[in-house]
Amino acid sequence: MHIKNHPILGSCLQEPVTFYFNDQPYTAYKQQTVAAALIANGIRMFGLSRKLVQPRGMFCARGRCCSCYMTVNGEDHVRTCMIKVEEGMRVYPNLEDPEIRGD
Amino acid sequence: MEKSTIICRCEEITYEEIEEVISHGARTFDDIKRLTRCGMGPCQTKICMHLVNKVIHELTGLPFQDIPLPRLRMPLSPIKLETLATNSTSFYAVKSVLDELELEERR
Amino acid sequence: METEVLVIGAGPAGLAAAFETASRGLDVTIVDESTVKGGQLCQQTQIIRALPSIFQPMRGFELAKLLTNQLEDFSVRYLLKHRLIGLYRDGSVGITNEVDVFPIKFKKLVIATGAAENAIPFPKWTLPGIITIGAAQTLINRDFVIPGKNSVIVGSSDFAMDVALQLLDVGVNVKAIIEAQSDVLARDKEKVKRVKKSGISFYLNSSIVEARGKDEVSEIDIQLPNKRITEKVDLVCVDGGRSPILDAFYQLGCSFGYQGELGGWIPQYNEFFQTDREDVFLAGNAAGVSSQGAVIVTGMIAGVSVCESLRIIDNREAEKIRISLWRELENIESSLYPDVWQARINHIKSFKYPLLKNQFIL
Repeated sequence: MHIKNHPILGSCLQEPVTFYFNDQPYTAYKQQTVAAALIANGIRMFGLSRKLVQPRGMFCARGRCCSCYMTVNGEDHVRTCMIKVEEGMRVYPNLEDPEIRGD
Repeated sequence: MEKSTIICRCEEITYEEIEEVISHGARTFDDIKRLTRCGMGPCQTKICMHLVNKVIHELTGLPFQDIPLPRLRMPLSPIKLETLATNSTSFYAVKSVLDELELEERR
Repeated sequence: METEVLVIGAGPAGLAAAFETASRGLDVTIVDESTVKGGQLCQQTQIIRALPSIFQPMRGFELAKLLTNQLEDFSVRYLLKHRLIGLYRDGSVGITNEVDVFPIKFKKLVIATGAAENAIPFPKWTLPGIITIGAAQTLINRDFVIPGKNSVIVGSSDFAMDVALQLLDVGVNVKAIIEAQSDVLARDKEKVKRVKKSGISFYLNSSIVEARGKDEVSEIDIQLPNKRITEKVDLVCVDGGRSPILDAFYQLGCSFGYQGELGGWIPQYNEFFQTDREDVFLAGNAAGVSSQGAVIVTGMIAGVSVCESLRIIDNREAEKIRISLWRELENIESSLYPDVWQARINHIKSFKYPLLKNQFIL
């Protein structure tokens, strides 16, 4: 859920954007990170761990733990807690190692 | 600690695995890293270093000042190869990491 | 790119060091991986009282704005969304903006990279919904997102007390604070009283046994001294304490010492906040985890020392200013954290005797 009216910081969410997770549209606001935008829309599982295939999401929100890795606009292993959400952004979960051959 | 507790999130190394290599003589973070892959994932010991050092302390009794830091290399955080190998000519100050290498003359 | 003073980190310590140097005419460049200036202060809504005497008590984000605004009159080069990635062979630092990597040549370097949070492991702590308390504060105060409906906090530092109150402010139900020790770790007893009055249960000598959930955490088992309970939560905030971020110091070949009360391993430094590399200074939580007011003073001391080493002010004046700043630091730090203050004094006394050297691999 977005905090439209923060008791101390006020109404700071000004510019809404539409982004896509697994091709579904969701609403977020310009200054939010991709990870925050997903959490606000109830999406907390960002991917699966490599070895034990366990659900992973955001942990440190500082760009250190790399638990929030997702595919954003075609780029794999993006630390979603570090980049801001943009209009039309396409986000996919990090379910397995990316295919690096071909193209 | 419960044996199945994950200590290294990135490589999914459990407390049990770390306990085992310590019983075989591992005493520093780097020892454990080389035997289990702990610390070799994307975060490069940022999250697990503190946890592993605590486990070493608990299982060996070594005081923390005798448990050295792991050794690290550049880059300090994940970066794209594309960025490191940049050859942008639009930014005058750009210096590709490739310039740092002495590439061998091919005969 | 060339600059006289390169400051890594635009948090309170970096901004304070930048002010001391830029206001005396030096060419200053500040690098920070964030998009805003002020570091962690930007997301802190609590009132901070223990500050250097030139500041009135104010909320964290107001203090961040003040520290930023006082630099407005000086031409400081800000490189936001840039980060330090390594060193070039000629000694200049490698900075990236995610598109390019480029060197910055500096005369003096001030590293104010701050501290990072420590995790608390328990079975299934990797489930989504289990985050650090700093991450919880980031979500509510920077991104304006509710992180969950029903939560617990593991750990009881002063920071945990702040975040508990801030979670309540935005309507998150904080069911309990779970502390493994026999007593609450927070030193600000007034704040602890406020948290207790809000109805949050305190479980001392307790810890999480296991977390469970399908794609995210939905319940946890807590081991109390005489029973085990299950709580339905969708958010677990862990507070394992904080440790200085040492990445940059590794690369620069600095040596390290250990002070548990300051957060563990910290770079060796003297009373000028200068490391064992003559051109590298440090400030803030990177020099030992302390309170906001204290880290501002460390930034001021480092800034003044940089000016002295670049001969902008003479030794006598620098020493005079430093003595009064060290007195401020003692005032702020020893009131609530006398053990942190003592550890800092011990660390400086052992400057010539590092425990770890030669960490840098060529």
